[in-house]
Formats: sequence, C-alpha cells, structure tokens
Amino acid sequence: MKKTTSGIKVAKVVIFIICCFLAVLSVMPFVIMLVNSTRSTTEIQQHAVSLIPSNYLFKNLSILLGKTFRPTVGFMNSMIISVCSTALATYFSTLTAYGLVVYDWKLKNAYFSFIMAIMMIPAQITMIGFYQMVYKIHMTNHLSMLILPAIASPSMVFFMRQYMKPALSMEIVQSARIDGAGEFFIFNRIALPIMKPAIATQAIFSFVSSWNRLFEPLILLTDQKKYTLPIMISLLRGDIYKTEYGAVYLGLAMTALPLIIVYLALSKYIIAGVALGSVKG
Amino acid sequence: MRKRVIAALMAGVMATALLVGCGGGSSASSSGGDAAAQDTQQAASSGGGSNVINLWSFTEEVPGMVEKYIETHPDFGYTVNTTVIATTEGAYQPALDQALQAGGAEQPDMYCAEAAFVLKYTKGDMSSYAMPYKDLGIDIDKAIADAKIAQYAVDIGTNADGDVDGLGYQATGGAFIYRRSIAKDVFGTDDPAQIAEILGAGTNSWDKFWEAAAKLAENNVAIVSGDGDVWHAVENSSETGWINADGQLHIDPKREAFLDISKNLIDNKWSNATQDWQDAWFADMKGQGEKPVFGFFGPAWLINYTLAPNCGGSAPGEGTYGDWAVCAPPIGFFWGGTWVMANKNMDPEKVAAVSELINWITLDTTEDGLQYKWANGTLNGEGGTKDAVASGTVMEKSDGSLDFLAGQNMFDVFVPANDYANGKNLTQFDENINLYWRDQARMYSVGEKSRDDAINTFKQTVNDNLGISAE
Amino acid sequence: MNKKKKTGYAKYGYIFTLPFTLTFLIFSLYPTLYTAVIGFTDLKGIGKTDFNFLANPFENFQAILSSPTFQLAFKNTVVLWLCNFIPQLLLALLLAAWFTDRRFKIKGEGAFKVLFYMPNIITAATIAILFNALFGYPMGPVNDLLMRFGFISAPFNFLVKKNIARGIVIFIQTWMWYGYTMIILISGILGISPEIFEAAEVDGANSFQTFFFVTLPNIKTILLFTLVTSLIGGLNMFDIPRLFQNGGPDNATLTTGVFIYNQAFSGSYMYNRAAAASMIMFVIICAASGLLFWLLRDRDEAKLKKEIKKREREMRRAGKGA
Repeated sequence: MKKTTSGIKVAKVVIFIICCFLAVLSVMPFVIMLVNSTRSTTEIQQHAVSLIPSNYLFKNLSILLGKTFRPTVGFMNSMIISVCSTALATYFSTLTAYGLVVYDWKLKNAYFSFIMAIMMIPAQITMIGFYQMVYKIHMTNHLSMLILPAIASPSMVFFMRQYMKPALSMEIVQSARIDGAGEFFIFNRIALPIMKPAIATQAIFSFVSSWNRLFEPLILLTDQKKYTLPIMISLLRGDIYKTEYGAVYLGLAMTALPLIIVYLALSKYIIAGVALGSVKG
Repeated sequence: MRKRVIAALMAGVMATALLVGCGGGSSASSSGGDAAAQDTQQAASSGGGSNVINLWSFTEEVPGMVEKYIETHPDFGYTVNTTVIATTEGAYQPALDQALQAGGAEQPDMYCAEAAFVLKYTKGDMSSYAMPYKDLGIDIDKAIADAKIAQYAVDIGTNADGDVDGLGYQATGGAFIYRRSIAKDVFGTDDPAQIAEILGAGTNSWDKFWEAAAKLAENNVAIVSGDGDVWHAVENSSETGWINADGQLHIDPKREAFLDISKNLIDNKWSNATQDWQDAWFADMKGQGEKPVFGFFGPAWLINYTLAPNCGGSAPGEGTYGDWAVCAPPIGFFWGGTWVMANKNMDPEKVAAVSELINWITLDTTEDGLQYKWANGTLNGEGGTKDAVASGTVMEKSDGSLDFLAGQNMFDVFVPANDYANGKNLTQFDENINLYWRDQARMYSVGEKSRDDAINTFKQTVNDNLGISAE
Repeated sequence: MNKKKKTGYAKYGYIFTLPFTLTFLIFSLYPTLYTAVIGFTDLKGIGKTDFNFLANPFENFQAILSSPTFQLAFKNTVVLWLCNFIPQLLLALLLAAWFTDRRFKIKGEGAFKVLFYMPNIITAATIAILFNALFGYPMGPVNDLLMRFGFISAPFNFLVKKNIARGIVIFIQTWMWYGYTMIILISGILGISPEIFEAAEVDGANSFQTFFFVTLPNIKTILLFTLVTSLIGGLNMFDIPRLFQNGGPDNATLTTGVFIYNQAFSGSYMYNRAAAASMIMFVIICAASGLLFWLLRDRDEAKLKKEIKKREREMRRAGKGA
C-alpha cells in the first residue's frame, strides 16, 4: 500500500515536470508576440525573436490606429461572424447528429456517408466555385455568406454523432416520450444538456477557427466597414515595401486577446467536474 | 445552468435569423467607425453609384493619393470607394479577378497591379479587362514623351495590340547603393563616378564587379549580402524571358549563370550568404553581420523604406546613416513598382473622372501633379519620404538629395538607371518561376545538389506546376 | 408495437437533418459540382469563362498521376502526416489519461489543460514566420544558442536541409494540434458514466488497467473521429508547409494541398488540373477513411450495444438490490 502511494508521488512529480515543459512551449509564442508588440520594426527586423521588451508600445499603437486598423469595427464584425456561426454550427450539428442517432430511417446510413464524403473534399479548389457563386449573385460584403454555411458543418456532425452514440441512452428518450414530451422538447431539454461537454469543446474550436479565418473573408468582404480583425492585420502586413512589424505584432496580440478570453470562459467545461455531473441529467 | 445554455443558443439563433433577414438590405450595424473613415464609408454605403469610383489596390498608397486629390480638388464631383486587399496571403488577385468578371455596380473602375503580377493584367490572361489609356482620352504617345516615362515601364504596361493600358508613378530602376567608409578604405575614394567605374557601370557585364568583389574579400568585406541582391540584376540582364515564342520554358544563358554566381558568392566568401528579407539581411544594413557588406542593389524605395530604417540610426553618425552613396550598376535592372489601370467595362459616365485621376497620378509633370509631390516628399506636407518617380521630367526639376546619402542627389543616378532597365523579358509567370529558380540555385550553391539536378528539378517543377514544358 | 412506433418517429430523422441538407444544397452544391466537373474539361486560366470537355476525359487525371512533383508531394504528405499524427495522438492520450485519472490530482491540472490548446489559437501565418526567424541563417536565435553553448562552431543553415525542414514542419504540426486532440479525448472520457470508473476502482484496477480496459474501449467512437478527421486534415495539410517555406526547400515540404494550390493560383491558373488533383485526393481519403471505419466500426458497434445492455441490466439489478 505504501509503495503504491510513493509510486504515485514520483509519477506525479514526473508528470508535473513534463506538463510544465509543455506549458512553457505553449506559452512561448504569446510571450514573443507580446514582447514584439513593444519593440520597434527595426528591432524586430534585426532579431525577430526576443524576450526583452522595448518601449515602442505606444508608438506601435499610434501607427496601428493611424492606418485602416479600426479595432471596434473589426472586433464587431469578427464577433458577429464568430458568435453566430459558432451558435449555428453547434446547435444544428447536434440536431443533425440527434437525427442520425436517435431515429431509424431508411436513408440514415446513406445520409451519414454523404456527410462524411463532403467532409473529405479538399477545400483549396472547391472554394473557387463558392467565390464565383457569391460574386455572381452579388452577395459579397454580406456577413451572412460567412455565417450561414456553418449550419452544415460535416466534421462537427461527425463528432456529435460519435459522442452521442455512447453518451445518450435511448432509455432516457423513451421515458421522456412516455411522459408525453414532444421530440423537439426532448432534444432541447434532455439531449442538449447531456451533450454539453461536446458542445463546449466544439464551440471553442469553431469559435477559434472562425475568428482566425482569413482567406474567405479577404475575398468576400471588400468593404472596409465589413473588415474583420484578421483582414486588418493582413493589410498591415501587406505593405510590401515597408511593413510595420511592431504594429503587426500589436495587432496580432489584440486579435488574440478576445479569443483567449472566450476560450478561458468556455474552458471550465473542459476542466472536469461540471461535465461529470450533467451526464445523468 | 441548462436553461442558460439553451437560452444562449436560442438567442444566437435568433440573432442570426435577424441578421440574415436584414442582411439583404444595406449593412445593419455600423458600429461607430472614426471620423477619418467617414467619407469613404459614405461612398461605400451607396454601393458604388454613378458618382462613386471603385478603386482596388493592394496597399494604401494609391487610395491615399486619390483621397488627397479629392481633398485638394473640391470640384472633382466624385467620391472614391476603396478596396484594399493585401498580396501577402495571395488573396488580392483571386478577389480582383472575381470582381472584374462579375461586373455590376460594384465592379472595380480603377485598379492597381504590382510588378510581380502586373503582366497578367496588362498583357496576359486578364488584359481583356484593361482599358487602353488612349480610350480614356489621353494623348498617350505625346504624354509619355513629355513626361519622359522610362521605357521599361511603358513596355510592361503595353498590351498585345501595342496600346498602353497601365503606367505607374514610381520609378524602380535600380542602382548600386554602397558604404562610403568601406569604399574609401578599399578603393581609396567614395566618389560615385569613380566607384561606378570600378564596378564596371554600363558595361553590361559582371567582370569588373567580380574583380572588385575579390579585392573587397582581401579586406574581409563581402561585396553583397546574399545572392538575392544580385538576382534582380541578373534577371533583367538576360536577352530573353523564361518563356520562348512557342510557349516553352527557356533558360537564358545569363540567367543560368546565376547558379554559378550564387555558388561563387558563397565559395569565395563574397557574400554573407543571407536570404533577402530575413534577419541577417537586415543586420548587414546596420553593419552588424558576419562581416561588413559593401552594398546593396536596389531602387530608390529600398533606400527609403528598407535601408534607412535598418541602418541603426536616424542622423549622420548614428549607425550607418550618412555613410551611403548611390552609383550606376554594372547591369541595369528594375525591382518592384505599381501600375494603375482602368476597367474597360466601367460606366461610360465615369471615364472622364477616372481619366483625370490616372492622368494626375501617372503623367502629370506639373508641380500640382502627384509625382512632383512624391519625388519631393511633399504629398502629405513637408519632410516626407522622397522617392524616384516615373517621370524623368519631374525628377529633373526635383531635389533628390538625402542626408542618408550624405547629401548626394539620388535622382542623378536614378534618372539614367531607369533607361538601363529592361521591360521586355518578362512573362506573367515570372513571380513563380523566379521562386522555383532561386530555390534550386540555393540548393546548388550550398552544396545540397549538383548543377544538373538543380536544373532538372527546376524544369520539372515548372512543368508540373505551370504546365509549361522545357524546350 | 415497437416497430410501428419506430416508423412513426422516422419522419423526425428527416426533419432534424433538413437544415443541414438545405444549407448544403444552397451553399455547397454548386462549388462541389463545379470541382467535380471541371477536372474533365479544358478550363484553364481565369480570363477564359467558356470551357469544353476533353476528348480524353481523363487527360488531367493522367497528367497529375504521372507527374513526379505530384508523386513527391503525395509521399511528403503521407510522411509529414504520419510523423506528426502518431506522436501527437500518443501524447494526447497520455495527457488525457493523466488528467482524467482521479489518483493523480496533478497540481495546476486545470491550467495545464487550458494551456496546451493555446498554440492552436495563434494563426498559422504568425507561427510560420516565428519559426522561420528562429532557424534563421547565418544569424538566428537557434544558431546563436547552439554557438553560445559550443555545440557548433559556425552557423548552420537549417532551412536548406530537407530533413530538418520536414522535421520542423512535423514539430509545428504536433505542437499546434496535440492540445486539440487532448481536449477531444478528454471530452470523450468525460462522457463516460463515472459509475464505470467507480466500479473499476472498487474492483482494485490500477491506472494502467483502468486506462486500457475501461477508458480506451469506451472512447472508441471518439478515437475513430480523431483518426478520421486527422487523416482528412493531414492529407489536406496546407497552411504550415505553404507559409513556412512555400513547400521548399527543394520541394521537401511540398504537400498535395500546396501542390493543388499552386496548380490553381500560380501563374497558369490550371483550375482543371487542380480540380483533378483534388478529386484524386478525395478518392484516396475516402478509401483510407473507409478502411478506418471498417477496422473500427463493426466489431465495435456490436460490442458497444452488448455492453450497454449489460450495463443497463446490471444497473437495474443494482437498483433493485438497493
């Protein structure tokens, strides 16, 4: 008995050291980013990576705000796109997965294969058709073009289905039916809460990736009023003959900040406890 | 808890539904942009009506000029709706192409292209959208002669029918920019005329330049920082471009020689073996690289936008500031530049206004013209950055002296430099072919690959990526 | 009776999946068909809007398959994916096991879980630039460090060495994604009923036994998800190889994703070839993930069903006993 506890103690120390090492690796780029946002462009060009802060933070800020970088506009647009597409994607993916797990219908397996197939098409070239379509129907500069497609997120449906299969027992559904609950009621009030840990993780990933999305917004949002934060950063970087790196890093740091906040807010679902209680509804 | 999650989700869905509902109309939430952006924003919300010119660019340079024009010409009668998309992520061209093809009220009326891809728009696949300047009502031949626009820029901006459809405002003819102190130590003089002589200016050959390199190496000085510095000169010196008349890949002997140049620069320690735009390259400008570097090949913008900020000071005596001079290069070349074009399919009512803007930017030689202000650094008030401009006429009457060059008038060198540059050996594929070529040259020069292997891989890559077979 | 009810509920299957179907039809049908069709045509260059079907419909496909660059790109893609995915999955599994094992209450566990995902938050472009600068030549932080500690006497040009460049891409991919995989796995483990773990603990199972005999079998569906999505993501790997060295040096990090992008957007605008290459990759990915499904699903599902029933019976019995 004693031996095992001391074994666990040693293991705990080893694990702790490994974790600390990984944590340092994870935090490094943020530190470099923050430090660089206080350094001048010249300092960065001479040594792109440094841990010693300089005193150009306010100068960088004034350069940043002197250009087309308007944090409030970019923040609002990024927020609208990310929040809406995350909400739509998580809700409808769970709904679709529920339809695939709970009900037995003729085309169920075929439909699942179809979802898997569209997930596997390489995106680089498919996007050309999408841009073409959006430009032809003159729907550029509509944020909805970047939000609505999120309703059909195949990989998220796949995840929800995989998660739901073992986690949602049919008995709960059956007993709710016996109590006279409607199908949508059962989904909203019983299935969704059970799926909370899955929804939280997918919401984080979806939010992060849509916040950082660059290529599609760059091509589809050409009006300055519709620019997202990453578009504004890309503009800063795009001044090919004289890039203001200090301002770029400051902009990057400002872009990452809301993400970190959202992530930390949702991360409590990743940390055990909250989720464990909910399984038994 | 559960309720709150559902409520939040529902709220999200509702918000989106609302958003979609009014998404069809004009933009819903314009959450307080600042005042400076207000005029362009007003223009944008009207979706490009008849008194709005849609301008597409990849930097804020041209939009800034146009805004200035409107500000100083209150009777112009048009506003400008600008779209700026950076080239960094490669999104500018796909977006511009889609917008030109889609047409409609939001199509670009005026657009810009960078040297790396301008040929696609002036004479390549997208040239059918460019309106020749003569259709803008500009007497183009006379205007070019009066302004003394460099021939290379005209050649690049001429379409397959021989009509000019694009011109720039900047001159990017290149020179050799060197350190005065090193010149004095090694060659006993820092006079641009004599250094030009030593480097073999105007000989159109590298022979004297390498002699100088050997002499500098004896003094433990690298003549250039890396092979990227000489590439633009090598590229421009060749008689033929990458594609021959049959549409096949052709390697000009002078470009093939770049492999050997690249290797010599490393093997003979004639360079610091840096790569352009990397840390070590910038350090060489400050004189803090592995060994001192004599100079850089570049146009005027390299001096003002790259060398000056990286020289380690901002007044004579600090860093390498004031220790520089410009002289004619052994081989003429140009590097970079922006061309301005008009859309053939634009609303005919806008043609006069677009013509007015393009004329002001590219051909106006008066002191009210853009180029005079650009050359003297006065577009945004006194003391701005001076740059070489497309018009020789303007440069002749402008003052290009810089403290950074210890008072030398850079236009004395850059006006003739533009005449040496060659605009006839370019293709619309150059941006990528050059990348592949320089990648293979690097592999050969560092000894990772044999010369033949490098050439074969290059041919294969071009064939597979661009569908262009070797001759 | 049971059967009758099932058919009655079947319509909800269609209703619940309807939003997905509609959205797909509106936004993705045209782009998907476009990609599928133009591979058989001569659509090339962006200025050309009309196109014809080729006399030999598979000409583009043959050109791609016989191209040494595509073959190299495919080889690179598989190598880069396998070499980053295997360590990534093992690390993620290990961490997930540690973090969900009640016996190791690791100090700062919550903080670690949160931190490990952080590299994924920064955009790929920034990370690629940072790594490029880290390994700069002849001056760069890595070279400076190695020289200061005397490991090398002269700066080393890392970025022209093919295998080092590949190694850096593999490291970046692993480092960016292990946190993501870990979170997915943890969420899968959290979905397991705590009673199962309690039962294992009562039976005196140690950490290894719990992990291999309780945790792993119960997250098989999530593992399948991880494998399949990683396969798809890995075989489409694009951002880092393109931004880090643009597929170089000497095509060492050229992936099929970068290859397709080059076909479509670099100078020649060979949309048809790019589409053909995309379809080839599509078929390969379908086949590979089909294999994964086949390997993991059938046995798995039958077993799971049995286990659920068994568990339910046990629970009922336990409930009765109490």
